[in-house]
Amino acid sequence: MIHAEGLVKRFGDNLAVDDVSLEVRQGEVFGFLGPNGAGKTTTVRMLTTLVAPTGGTAWVNGHQLGVADAQVRASVGLLTEAPGLYPRLTAVENLGIYGQLHGVEDVPAQVRKYLTLLELWDRRDEPVGGFSKGMQQKLAIARALLHEPPALFLDEPTAALDPEAARVVRDFIETLRGEGRTIFLCTHNLDEADRLCDRVGVIRQRLVRVDTPANLRHGLYGRSVRVRLAQPTPGLEASVAALPFVQGVTPLEDGLRVALDDPETHNPNLVRALVAAGAAIQYLEEESHTLEQVYFDLMAESREAVA
Amino acid sequence: MNTGRIRVIVRKEWLDMRKNKMVLGMMFLLPLILVLMILGTAAAFRYVPEQMSDPLVPEGTPGLPPALAQMDTDDRTLAILNDQYMFYLLMIPMVLPVYIASYSIIGEKETRSLEPILATPISTAELLIGKVVGAVTPAVIAAWASFALTALGMYFLATRPVFLYLIRPIWTVGMLIHSPLFALMSASGGVIASSRLNDPRAAQQISGLLVVPLLGVSFLVLMGRVYLDTGTLLWVTPIILALNAAILWLTVRIFQRETILTRWK
Ligand SMILES: Nc1ncnc2c1ncn2[C@@H]1O[C@H](COP(=O)(O)OP(=O)(O)OP(=O)(O)O)[C@@H](O)[C@H]1O
Ligand SMILES: [Mg+2]
Repeated sequence: MIHAEGLVKRFGDNLAVDDVSLEVRQGEVFGFLGPNGAGKTTTVRMLTTLVAPTGGTAWVNGHQLGVADAQVRASVGLLTEAPGLYPRLTAVENLGIYGQLHGVEDVPAQVRKYLTLLELWDRRDEPVGGFSKGMQQKLAIARALLHEPPALFLDEPTAALDPEAARVVRDFIETLRGEGRTIFLCTHNLDEADRLCDRVGVIRQRLVRVDTPANLRHGLYGRSVRVRLAQPTPGLEASVAALPFVQGVTPLEDGLRVALDDPETHNPNLVRALVAAGAAIQYLEEESHTLEQVYFDLMAESREAVA
Repeated sequence: MNTGRIRVIVRKEWLDMRKNKMVLGMMFLLPLILVLMILGTAAAFRYVPEQMSDPLVPEGTPGLPPALAQMDTDDRTLAILNDQYMFYLLMIPMVLPVYIASYSIIGEKETRSLEPILATPISTAELLIGKVVGAVTPAVIAAWASFALTALGMYFLATRPVFLYLIRPIWTVGMLIHSPLFALMSASGGVIASSRLNDPRAAQQISGLLVVPLLGVSFLVLMGRVYLDTGTLLWVTPIILALNAAILWLTVRIFQRETILTRWK
């Protein structure tokens, strides 16, 4: 659906995006993470034909940037960083303009559909300048969807929203995902990326890593389980380390951390061995790393790579 | 070029204008004041006799058009004053579109609404033409309405020769053909200027430079150095047209998508 090859964007001397290649499949929710100024918005602007790449190219819905820009724009919906609504116009008027620009066949029906879905129908005839940030953001999302684009670009959809409004927007994105739409989601919110995205790309000028949230976590730290014991068991560490499927053992104050490549398969054997060795197991759980930890480590890594 | 999309932009501009008291006020106030001044002068001539002891253009001034030469002194003075006022009326379509276009673009900058618009299939030319036409039409309508009101008032307040002198071809043709052309130029100037400046007033002043040549001509006419006739007016039409086309072309050339996004902010 989105296929980029070596996208580069320079603003004068400032290299905003460097050699970004990526592939986003149809129906996938692709998270785009990176610190401020990493080039997320610039990448989105290139992919939506708003700025021309300095180098490289990309195809969106089969249409190439710079060759079939109008078709690219017809295939994408864009939620920009700022909602960019016309404050004096009403919700219906704001959406109507976009429906017409996109050549939507039944504009009133589409406007009604999305205003209803996003719970703005009752306020449809009010000037949107008086809407709360959350309502404005929802309206801007509706605007990006009126022409039912196969690909949707969301640039920080929940930034600047209170937790409740952010949740409404996030839930809505989940609904969209169920419809098979391809979603390209820029975000600073790592929980959001973890929850919504099939895969995430971490960018800092260059694309640092692309993978599923789970693989990112495991790839960086390996997988491990934490065993909590009622009391210390002498010799336990050595006997666990001797098990063929165990990749490492670290003693903890109240038990052990055991590194395994496939806990689903090996945990039953691990538990049997622990019991056989006389351990009194209180809990056994997979150690989880948040995407946040992964992100900070990737950023530290990429800073080192640059230095 | 998709005229449907241009129409969408024009309609949006009108809709927004209707809800913008600032622009609306400007659009009505300036022409209204002018019309009141013109008609007030005519009324003064009619109801306050002998107030002009010194005729503006004495009888027997060489080069006086026959229509003026045949009038009595008061009528001639009023007719010449009317001509001078007409320049101000012609300036409505030069000044208003700059204001309207500046407001529209600076408004788009403030609301950051350009990026989502540019992400739709609209082309740069369609967007800019929509903006220009959206700014030109109300100004032209205001100018035409002012002219119509002036003519109507003159019909009742002034003598028949003065009325006929006012609606002679030079002004009717000027209003019908030239004022929209001036308005187009002015709106394009407003688009260019306000895309670089963030203050509508500054943009207006800079594009106001466009008015200077017209002011020059107007000054010459005031000094009695030039009597404009329809021939001259028709002769300059192609030049104005070419100038218009050039400015519009330039506007579209300067503002590619990326420039709009980075400059209009
Ligand atoms: N129009 C522009 N002109 C010059 N430099 C620009 C322009 N747009 C972006 N940049 C620069 O490009 C770099 C990437 O910016 P970009 O907005 O893409 O980052 P981002 O990842 O979206 O950041 P944020 O999280 O703050 O939104 C920054 O250094 C920025 O200053
Ligand atoms: Mg950004």
